[in-house]
Amino acid sequence: MKQKNSLPAVFLTPAMMILAVLAFVPTVYAIYISLQNRELSRPVGDFVGIANYIDLFSDRRFINAIGVSLTWEAVTVGMTLIVAVGLGILLFECAAPRMRNILALLFLMPVILPRVSAAFVWKFAFHPLYGIATYPYKAITGQPLDLLSNPATALATVALVDVWQWGLFFSVIVLKLLETLPPQPFEAARLDHARTWEIYTHIAIPMLKAPLISLAFVKMIESLRAFDLIYVMTRGGPGITTETLDMYAFSQGFIESGRISYASSMAVLMMIATSIAFTFIWKRVQ
Amino acid sequence: MNAHKLGRVVGRILLLLAAFSAVFPVFWTLLNAFKNRVDIVTPTPLFFFTPTLDNFAYVLGRESVFAGLINSLIISGASVLIGALLGLPAAYAIARYPNRWSGDIQFFVLSLRFLPPVAIAIPLMVIWLDFGLYDTRLSMIVTYTLLTLATVIWLSVPAFARVPKEVEEAARVDGYGPYAIFFLIALPIALRSLIGAVAFAFVLVWNEFLIALMLTTSDAKTLPIVASELTQLGRDVPWGILNASVVLLSIPPLLFIGVLSGMLNSAFKRKTS
Repeated sequence: MKQKNSLPAVFLTPAMMILAVLAFVPTVYAIYISLQNRELSRPVGDFVGIANYIDLFSDRRFINAIGVSLTWEAVTVGMTLIVAVGLGILLFECAAPRMRNILALLFLMPVILPRVSAAFVWKFAFHPLYGIATYPYKAITGQPLDLLSNPATALATVALVDVWQWGLFFSVIVLKLLETLPPQPFEAARLDHARTWEIYTHIAIPMLKAPLISLAFVKMIESLRAFDLIYVMTRGGPGITTETLDMYAFSQGFIESGRISYASSMAVLMMIATSIAFTFIWKRVQ
Repeated sequence: MNAHKLGRVVGRILLLLAAFSAVFPVFWTLLNAFKNRVDIVTPTPLFFFTPTLDNFAYVLGRESVFAGLINSLIISGASVLIGALLGLPAAYAIARYPNRWSGDIQFFVLSLRFLPPVAIAIPLMVIWLDFGLYDTRLSMIVTYTLLTLATVIWLSVPAFARVPKEVEEAARVDGYGPYAIFFLIALPIALRSLIGAVAFAFVLVWNEFLIALMLTTSDAKTLPIVASELTQLGRDVPWGILNASVVLLSIPPLLFIGVLSGMLNSAFKRKTS
């Protein structure tokens, strides 16, 4: 029955070769540069072994960046899921089908915007003097509100934009997931006079546990791509309070000193950490 | 019963607030793009003003913005085209001819998404510098092909898997070869979802920022980079121009919102049937 078929090899090989080359060459090269002391102004470097890695661990800005990145991951993933589940349930409970479709389309808009656009839209909205989001505060108190220059609020304000993009988008997915659930358990619970919130906490959310974990996984990966927002909104400031790992690697490699080898060693550590963490989580999710 | 009704009203209000928060900031940016500077820099936000086209005229007349637009179109277009040409057949092979490596291949494609962009951009910058290809459209197209190819494969495998096996089986009985089945049967049937996958890849690279920021300095700068440079201008910020360039940057992805929402719908229909 199964005759020899050239299709899988012909269709798969070119794509996989290109992906492999494009993925492995930079990875290997990153390790190679990280063992040198190359700088942008000096194209040839000497091998210094693992000196860059040792330096990293006594670099307080690097330690700070780890903390900021971890906080960023936890806050954005957590808030996105809370917003997504909350709004998803509201869409399912309170909106008629037509309304659902319109809202779903509107909720998709923020995530489709380029992050640079989203960052600017909100940076201007939070402008202490002319911003539309800070205007009510200014009108009531007479004081300008500068959230992005305040070390205590800057990271949360940037995170808000991330949750604005992803929380609304994921709420549409949660709605679609709820729509795929069989109606019988809900009806049975209603007959037993279960309250609406009990139906969700006891039936719907446990039934959707697996897809919700997958969503959290996707968001964790996407939260690593926070650079655009932070670069446009705060550039890592005030001080280094919003400096994530990619922001710090970027400023080491480009802005301040052009120390590409040092930046590269940071990139290698990030690569190892994310690969291990996500491979582990992925296998667990499967 | 009354409490239930009240709950629904509160829920509707929350939904409307969320919808307002999704739309209003974008709408406000659009309004500001049509304002003169004096109408933006006001102590109270202005909803009624004399609209002006000066901002758009200025942005579109600027050489850097125009060059960024052309670069973005060429780089995104070419990398999406390559990604689709190579990725769609590969996705079909993974979906229809599973073997013992299929799981590993799919995990490999997904794992490319784990890589922090900065970890790809730093070595690639050095590589392109060494090749003398730094800051060229060619190097950007090659780099973005990594993103588009992986994305197209990842999103197209389920689309091909949803094509009914019976249809392909019937075509085989009618004497169609494996390639004819792909081009004449599977591709047309899955077309709608596949367009969604390709559109998603386009939006992804059109919006991409960090890699472009590190791999271009002047000649191959894409539109997001040009727009972000405008937002970093000094004290006397030309707010209207900024808003206009942000609007310009956001139009192409928003054109695809219908296609992407259609893809979302078809992706979740499978589970109900």
